[in-house]
Amino acid sequence: MSRSVLYTSSPLLASKTPVWRSKFIVAMIALGFLGLVGRAAYVQVFGNAFFQRQGEVRFARTLELPANRGKIVDRNGLILASSVPAASIWAIPEDVEQDKPEVRAKLRQLAKLLDMPQAELQRRLADEDKTFVWIKRQLDWGLGQQIAALDIKGIYQRKEYKRQYPEGEAAAHVVGFTNVEDHGQEGMELAFDKDLAGKPGSRRVIKDRLGRVVEGVGETVPPVDGKDMQLSIDSKVQFFAYQKLRDQVLAHKAKAGSVVVLDAHTGELLALANYPSYVPDKRQNLTGEQLRNRALTDVFEPGSTMKPFTIGLALESGRVRPDTIIDTRPGRVTITGSTISDTHDYGVLTVEGVIQKSSNVGTTKIAMQMPAREMWETFSAAGFGQKPQIGFPGAISGRLRPYKTWRPVEQATMSYGYGLSASLFQMARSYTVFANGGRVIPATLLKTHETAVGVPVFSERTADQVRKMLQMAAGPGGTGQKAQTLGYSVGGKSGTARKQVGKSYASGKYRAWFTGMAPIDKPRIIVAVMIDEPSNGVFYGGAVAAPVFSEVVQQTLRMMGVQPDMAVKPQIVADTVEESL
Amino acid sequence: MVRLNIMLLVAVLASALYLVHTQYESRRLFTELDRATVEARRLETEHQRLEVEKRAQATPLRVEKLAQGKLNMRTATPAITQYVADPQGERKP
Repeated sequence: MSRSVLYTSSPLLASKTPVWRSKFIVAMIALGFLGLVGRAAYVQVFGNAFFQRQGEVRFARTLELPANRGKIVDRNGLILASSVPAASIWAIPEDVEQDKPEVRAKLRQLAKLLDMPQAELQRRLADEDKTFVWIKRQLDWGLGQQIAALDIKGIYQRKEYKRQYPEGEAAAHVVGFTNVEDHGQEGMELAFDKDLAGKPGSRRVIKDRLGRVVEGVGETVPPVDGKDMQLSIDSKVQFFAYQKLRDQVLAHKAKAGSVVVLDAHTGELLALANYPSYVPDKRQNLTGEQLRNRALTDVFEPGSTMKPFTIGLALESGRVRPDTIIDTRPGRVTITGSTISDTHDYGVLTVEGVIQKSSNVGTTKIAMQMPAREMWETFSAAGFGQKPQIGFPGAISGRLRPYKTWRPVEQATMSYGYGLSASLFQMARSYTVFANGGRVIPATLLKTHETAVGVPVFSERTADQVRKMLQMAAGPGGTGQKAQTLGYSVGGKSGTARKQVGKSYASGKYRAWFTGMAPIDKPRIIVAVMIDEPSNGVFYGGAVAAPVFSEVVQQTLRMMGVQPDMAVKPQIVADTVEESL
Repeated sequence: MVRLNIMLLVAVLASALYLVHTQYESRRLFTELDRATVEARRLETEHQRLEVEKRAQATPLRVEKLAQGKLNMRTATPAITQYVADPQGERKP
């Protein structure tokens, strides 16, 4: 017997269903396929762009390629400011399981590492509604690694960059600093923020499930790193200048002080320091007093340091010669009812002597022979009342009123430095006139190699004559003898200006100035010093500011490799030291 | 005819498999390149960090402190300096 089933004759299989049912099923299946085909067509053809995009959104990422902020280096390529990676710690408070004892122990360690009181950390983590809280930003990279090692759930970190300033407070005012977002806030960091910042790039990539980059899509925009800036500052000169200034300000219980060192040939600023200063890396509790770059942003009446310009003009116009006799007796002179006096009666002086002894009466008598316009023109040409072209934020132009508004007594006071104002930087720059054969040269904070081309103010002969007077002023019988330094001939003018408080001059409040150059025959550097309110007994520029000048000149010329131009009694002692065998 | 078709099919399959392989290889290399780039960047920042640290260890303040304190040195003055002429002629500083 056959075991096979006869489909046609099996009664079990004899269909009683109507034919339309099978046809219906076939139709339904066909319809189903049609639906699939339709969907496929829709996905592949009509909606293709949409689905492609959706896919990309899930896997493609745009990565930002951060640009490095440029370095700031000094004239010898030593770093003044550079960016280093830093860790910023943030948290999702709700994810931090504070009720667990082991987490609490870890949090205590974290607080210790962060140098943050426990309560402060608790307070930051208290707000559970927040999904993002900064704990502390810009920590040292090493510290960040230690914190990462604690492995606390809900505490994360982000890589940021922070600026480091190895030179610290000595160069703080020149270099400036950046904020947490890496934007310049002060000094060169602000002035050249655009060049330093660079431009971040970007690229689109496809990441896989584990977050690894598997493919780049589209174009990559490479980051443009910020440009490095080379300043004219010499960090060694800067440091010594700052140190000497600080010591002097502290020794004389002064309020503040500034010093500027200028290369007499190129107009480059070799140093510019102010005290009080600040450490750029630690900027908590900063006061405006510390922040101010006084040498550039504060203007004062220069006092006697102005006299060489008045005398220079008189020499230039042929009204006097260096040996012309000026009678300063009896130490007083009256101009339209106001009396101008000297500290002593200097008697009969030569023009040279007027500068050497710093006689107000003598200077006034010479100035009154000249028209106000000529004085104004000379002062303006030397940069007074003009905005310094130095590209430094906040550099101020000082005040020099138009000559038409000068009253005779004002012309007289201006001739010896009252009634006009200038910054210490302007003062230093104006002295390039005497150092450079009568030409005032533009000053710069960026390194150059070229000798600056100046604008003539005086003839070379006048400049030489005034320089000789400056040498006398810093020499025996002059007001600035303490400016003398070992081995190098110097010349310069001291100034002691009464401070103006409100509308009148305060008694007992002075500003001590000294501006000069060295070596005097062929000046290489110009140094200007200002000390504000010395209040330890002495206040004369020749006593307070000149010693700083002396030491700064000594160190700077030595570091520049300038050979002494004056005979020095050598103190080289050839000690015979027994060499051990 | 059939043989040609089979040959073509095999060729298509082989090419398809090779494509898969190439794609895989290119992704692998890309990841490697990416990792190397990240590493290069990390090393560069590390270099910069060390450079700054080196500089911080050699600031004039520190040098002076060590020179005076540890090595008993003092600042040179012209009085204790012997100047010698450079036979090559005057060198520009």
